[in-house]
Amino acid sequence: MAVIDIVIVIAFLILTFLVGSFFYKWVGDPDDFYLAGRKLTPFILAAVITATNVNLYSFVGQAGIAYQHGISILWQTWTGNMALVFSGLFIIPIMRRLRIRTVPEFLELRYSKSVRVLVGVLWVFRLAFWLGVVLYTAVVAAQAITGIESYTFWIIAFAVVAIIYTVLGGMWSVAFTDVMQFVFMLGGALIVLPLAMSAVGWMPGLIEKLPEHSLTLVRETGTYNWKFILAIFLLGIEWASVDQGLLQRAFGAESTKTVAKGLVLAGIITTPFALLWNLPGLAASVLYPGLQNPDQAIPMLLSRMVPPVILGLVVCGLLSSQLSTISGNLNGVATLFTNDIYENLRKRKATDKETLFIARLMTLIVGIFMIVFAYFVPKMGGAVEAYLTIIGIMDMPLFIVGIFYGLLWKRATSSGAILGYLAGALAGIFGKFVYMFDFNLTTFISAGAALIVLPVVSWLTKPEAKEKIENVWRARKTSEEEEKSGVTYNIIPKTRKGKLSGLVYLSGVLIFIGGVLTGSNGWPYASFIAVSGMVIYFLGGLLRVHFD
Amino acid sequence: FDWITWSIWLIGLIILVIWIYVPYKEFRKLLANRKKSD
Repeated sequence: MAVIDIVIVIAFLILTFLVGSFFYKWVGDPDDFYLAGRKLTPFILAAVITATNVNLYSFVGQAGIAYQHGISILWQTWTGNMALVFSGLFIIPIMRRLRIRTVPEFLELRYSKSVRVLVGVLWVFRLAFWLGVVLYTAVVAAQAITGIESYTFWIIAFAVVAIIYTVLGGMWSVAFTDVMQFVFMLGGALIVLPLAMSAVGWMPGLIEKLPEHSLTLVRETGTYNWKFILAIFLLGIEWASVDQGLLQRAFGAESTKTVAKGLVLAGIITTPFALLWNLPGLAASVLYPGLQNPDQAIPMLLSRMVPPVILGLVVCGLLSSQLSTISGNLNGVATLFTNDIYENLRKRKATDKETLFIARLMTLIVGIFMIVFAYFVPKMGGAVEAYLTIIGIMDMPLFIVGIFYGLLWKRATSSGAILGYLAGALAGIFGKFVYMFDFNLTTFISAGAALIVLPVVSWLTKPEAKEKIENVWRARKTSEEEEKSGVTYNIIPKTRKGKLSGLVYLSGVLIFIGGVLTGSNGWPYASFIAVSGMVIYFLGGLLRVHFD
Repeated sequence: FDWITWSIWLIGLIILVIWIYVPYKEFRKLLANRKKSD
């Protein structure tokens, strides 16, 4: 990496720091720190959600899978985008109406304080460790791309800058640096695509030099086949309904309608974006075939093909993707700890000043933990992977307990929720580590255990208080806050245009699923139909939030 | 001229321009509101 590129990267880090620190004065109370004062608009929300979701895994890891297995890995992001739209239309508006800050807080409203604290503690640990792993992978990728081997330099670049501005400005800083970082990473991807494609002779060159299955979106066979698409779609809905990093951004929206609009827009804009980082992965498989580690494909492409100055800008884009993920989740941990654990342990209600101090202190402590843990990750080998698998497994029972039964079945009780959650988690851990099932099968076994245990225990225990349940059920309808402001959103459409757009959305789902299923016997038009279904689905979602 | 690649690129560019212009405009509005309330 040339000196000019290093200067560009350092200038970018200083700019990020200045933009992030600017919002220190905007934080007056805890809601400012956690949720940007609930003033985020649809376009800002969409950029923030995209910046938090897209990280170096997308640019290096997913593009590496495209390098090795072909373009069908795109569905991992595309079905995630479809899940964002689903969650934005049907699930998160309910939570926004309850004016909560975290997922565990919803669990107290629906079940009890003990469910809230149990899940809150588990989430604080999971995010703190996960941040350490994220930081480590970012450092390794940055070393490979730039040739700058100093571990400490990259720790400062990624962690220290993000920690300082997140401590100072909380969600306000996270939101506006995310918007800036979204622009940088999209700009970087726009630079790389034509460079990579021109090197392989554009699309005809790619078609000529790659085997047909590498360019087939819905595949009959292979690791990322039609079954993978359906499984990852269901897992995506689970993720888009319970992920604290995602939901906390959504709770910062200025209204329920903004939540729906922001999530639909985020799903739509990430769809072409995913092509921008996966096509270079395919191009790399033509240019540098046979790499031992497919994660090296994109770093190699960048270091060999991108000229100085341009490389500096692209590296800023890659840094952006990781900075936004780190800062967003740091803010998430601080919110979970302060909101769900600290405030529950105190005898008297904390003042705004005390709460803000604890939230900032917690951001700093988790940030330092993340840095220390990142130094240990390479020494822990398989333990890290096992840990990540366990936390991945534990999301599914949370979805079943919190969202599936929590929003659909009034008779679900707190004891049922705790035992259902633990049964799902244990079944998943057994399935993975004793029976060695693959990840998708394990999560479905985990879901099955929670699906069975919760209703059995609930029938044997006393129902939850009626007013508690009614409070949650009332959130399905427009709230007083919406009626007053005149900006309403109906989850079940009431107007004719709303119903028609709902039909467009529903037909998109059916066409998409039909396309994927026809891929099971290798029908040549399966990919075209599945993609058309996805486009109709997005169009229906967009019309749906616009009209009703 | 590779229509497919450049179409994807153009969609990305349009998103980039919109997401520079709109959030900047909204930031200015938020800033003006804060100054007014101050």
